[in-house]
Amino acid sequence: MTAIATDVDTSPTPPLPRRRSRLRRRNSLIGWSFILPNFLGFALLTLIPVVTLFYLGFTNWNIFGTANWTGLANFQRLLGDTTFHTAVLNTFYYAVLHIPLTFVVSLGLALLLNTKLRGVAFFRTAAFFPYITSIVAIAVVWNLLFSPQYGPINQLLHFVGIANPPTWLQSTTWALPATVIVSTWRDMGYYMVLFLAGLQTVPRELHEAARVDGASVWQRFWNVTMPCLRPTTFFVTVMLTINSFKVFDLILVMTNGGPGNATLVLSQFIYQTAFVQNQFGYASAASIVLFLICIVVTIIQFLINKRRSA
Amino acid sequence: MNRKFAAAAAVSIAATLSLAACSGGVSTAPSATSDNKPVTISVSGWSLTTTPEFQVLADGFHKQHPNVTVQVKDYDAANYATLLTADLAAGTAPDVVAIKQVTDMVTFASGGQLVDVSDVKLSDGIKGASSYKLDGKQYAIPYRLDGNVLFYNKDLFKAAGVPDPDGTWTWDDYTAAAEKLKTGLKSAGSSALPAYLHTWNSQVQSFATAQTPKADMLSGNYAYMKPYYEQALKMQDEGLQLPFATASANKTTYQAEFGKQQAAMELMGSWYVATLLAQQKSGDADKFQWGMAPVPQRTSATAGTDKKPVTFGDPTGFAINVKTDGAKLTAAKEFLSYVESEKAAESLAQIGISPALVTDAVTKTFFGQQGIPTDSLSKFAWGSQKIAPQNPPSPKTPIASTALTAMHSAIMTGSTSLDKAISDAGAQFKNQAG
Repeated sequence: MTAIATDVDTSPTPPLPRRRSRLRRRNSLIGWSFILPNFLGFALLTLIPVVTLFYLGFTNWNIFGTANWTGLANFQRLLGDTTFHTAVLNTFYYAVLHIPLTFVVSLGLALLLNTKLRGVAFFRTAAFFPYITSIVAIAVVWNLLFSPQYGPINQLLHFVGIANPPTWLQSTTWALPATVIVSTWRDMGYYMVLFLAGLQTVPRELHEAARVDGASVWQRFWNVTMPCLRPTTFFVTVMLTINSFKVFDLILVMTNGGPGNATLVLSQFIYQTAFVQNQFGYASAASIVLFLICIVVTIIQFLINKRRSA
Repeated sequence: MNRKFAAAAAVSIAATLSLAACSGGVSTAPSATSDNKPVTISVSGWSLTTTPEFQVLADGFHKQHPNVTVQVKDYDAANYATLLTADLAAGTAPDVVAIKQVTDMVTFASGGQLVDVSDVKLSDGIKGASSYKLDGKQYAIPYRLDGNVLFYNKDLFKAAGVPDPDGTWTWDDYTAAAEKLKTGLKSAGSSALPAYLHTWNSQVQSFATAQTPKADMLSGNYAYMKPYYEQALKMQDEGLQLPFATASANKTTYQAEFGKQQAAMELMGSWYVATLLAQQKSGDADKFQWGMAPVPQRTSATAGTDKKPVTFGDPTGFAINVKTDGAKLTAAKEFLSYVESEKAAESLAQIGISPALVTDAVTKTFFGQQGIPTDSLSKFAWGSQKIAPQNPPSPKTPIASTALTAMHSAIMTGSTSLDKAISDAGAQFKNQAG
C-alpha cells in the first residue's frame, strides 16, 4: 500500500505497464492468500499422497523399509489375480445397477416434489434424511430389515405369497442387488436436491408455450424439461458414476465383501490388500487401475455431453 | 600399632564394601536398576479404562524395580495395529509395544521394527511363545493366552435333563448332546437353542487346523476343514444353533446369546470368563450356573481329562521397539521378563485374565474370583488343554485369513457348495500369496 503511495508521489508520470504489473501481482497475492489455507490442506492430505501412490504402484512397499522399484510386476500380478477380477466385475455390476436406478428415482422424486404440493418441504426433508444418516446405522438397520428369517422385508414377501424369498445379504446372488437398493435409498435425497435446483432453472414460459401448442405432459418432459436440465443431468451422471466406482463404506459395514466374495468391490480389495495384508505397493497398483477406470468413464461422458450440446 | 590397625580395618572395610557393591552389581546385571538411576519406559496398550491388564503389569513391575517408571500409552483398540504401524514408521512409538495380534508381530518384525528378544529367559511351561518366533528369532514375549473352551449353562442342562459334559466329547458327542438338549429344552418349555456358534470363521476353521494332524493354514489346501463344516452345517440345518445368516444379519453378540440364556452351549475364548462374571454381577447377563468343558475333539484319542484335548488360541504379548537403546532397552527387557513370570501371571489371574503361564498357584488365584465355577472340569478346561496357535507367524497369514473369511460366509450362508468354496479359497490364497 505504502509502496504504491510513494511510487505515485515520487513520479508524477509513472510508467503505466509497471504499475499494472504490480497491481496484478498484488491481486494475485491476495488471491493466493485466499486459496492457500485450503490448498495447503489439499496438497498435504490429497495431492502429495495421490502423487506418491502413483510411484508406490510400481514398487513392492509394505509400509516399513524401502520401496523397491518392481516396474510393471504389480500390474502383471493384477492381470492374473482372480480375486481382483471378481472385484472389478462386482464394481461394474454395482455401477450398472446403481447409476440408472438412482438417476431415475431421484429425478422422479425431484419432479414430484417440484410441484406445489401441501407439505412439500416436509417431503423434501424426509427424502434427504437418509443422506445425512450415519452409514453404520444404515447398515445395521438394513441388515435387520433384510434378515432372511425374521426380517420385515421377507415377512412381507411371505405375506404377499412369495414362498421362497431371497436371503438378500446372505446370498451370493442377491447380496449385491440388496446393497444397491440401500445405496439408492441413501443417495436419492442428495441427487434429488441437485435435480430440484436444476428444475428451478427451467423457464416457465417454455412449458406454457408447449402447453399452448398442445404438448402432452410426456412430450413436455422430453422436449422441454430434459433439454433444459442437461447441465444438471451431466453433473449428476458424472458424480454418480465416480461414486459408484469408489463405493466402499456402505459395503464394508453391510457385508464386508461377503458372502464369499459376492460383494467384494474394488475399493475394498484395495483396503484389504493394503491395510489387512500390508501389500501397499500392490494395493497402490490396484488404486491406479480404479483411477484409470474412473477417468476413462468420465472422459467418455464429457465427450458424449459435448457432442449432445453441439 | 593403633594407627596401623585402624588403617588395616579401613582397607578391609573398603574392600568388603566394594566387593559387596560388585556382587550386588553382578546379581542384577546387566540391569538398569543396578545403578538405581531412574529410567522411564513407555508401553503401548489399548482401551485402558476397560483393559486394566496394562496398568496392573506396569504397577507390578514398578514394585519390583522401583527406579523404573512405566508409562502406559493408550491407543484406540479397534485401530490399534494401524495406529501403532503409523507410530513405528514415524519413529514415535513407545519403547515396549503390546502385540495384539500375532500377524502384527510379523509385520513389525519383518519391517525391522522390533528388537530380537531371544535372550529374555522364558519360564518353564510358558505357552504361546512359539507364535512370536520368526526365522528362528523370538520377537515378542507372551503374557496372556486365551484358549477356547466350551461354556455351558448348567441350569439349562438340568432343565433339559441332559447330563453335563464330562470332558470326553468328540464333535459327534457334541452334536448328539445338542440333539438331546433340543428335545429336552422344548419339553421343559424353554425357548433356548442348544448351542450358539459365533460368526467368526475361526469358530470352525481354527478347530479344524488345530485338531487335524499336519493341517496347514498356509498350504492353500483346505479340504481338511470339510468334516468340521459338515458338522457345523448339520447343527445349523437341524435347528440346533442359530443359522449363520440370521446371526450375521442381526449382528448377534456371543455375550448376549450365552449370557441371556439364548443358548445352552457356546464355544468361546477364555477371555469371556471375565466378561461373563462382570455381566452377571452388573445384571447385563442373567444369573445362572455355568461351567467350562474342554472343546469337542476330532477323535477320542485326545478326548478326556486323562488326555490333552486340543483347542486353539493366540497369545497377547510385548515386543521392544527397535529404536529403544541403552538403559531403556535393559529396562524394557526386564519388563518383558517380568510379564511372563509367575508373579505377573498371578496378578493377571486376579483380574480374570488367562495368563500365558499357568501354574497351580495361578489356577488357584484365577478360580478364586467371585462367581466363577469351581468344579474340576472347568479348571481342567481352562488350564490343561493343549492350545495350538490360531495364526501361524508368517506374512502369508493375513492373505490366508482373507480367503478363509470369504470361504466361511460362502459356506455357512449355504450360498456356495462346500467343495466349491474350499477350492475357491485355495485358489484365492495361491493367487494372492504368489
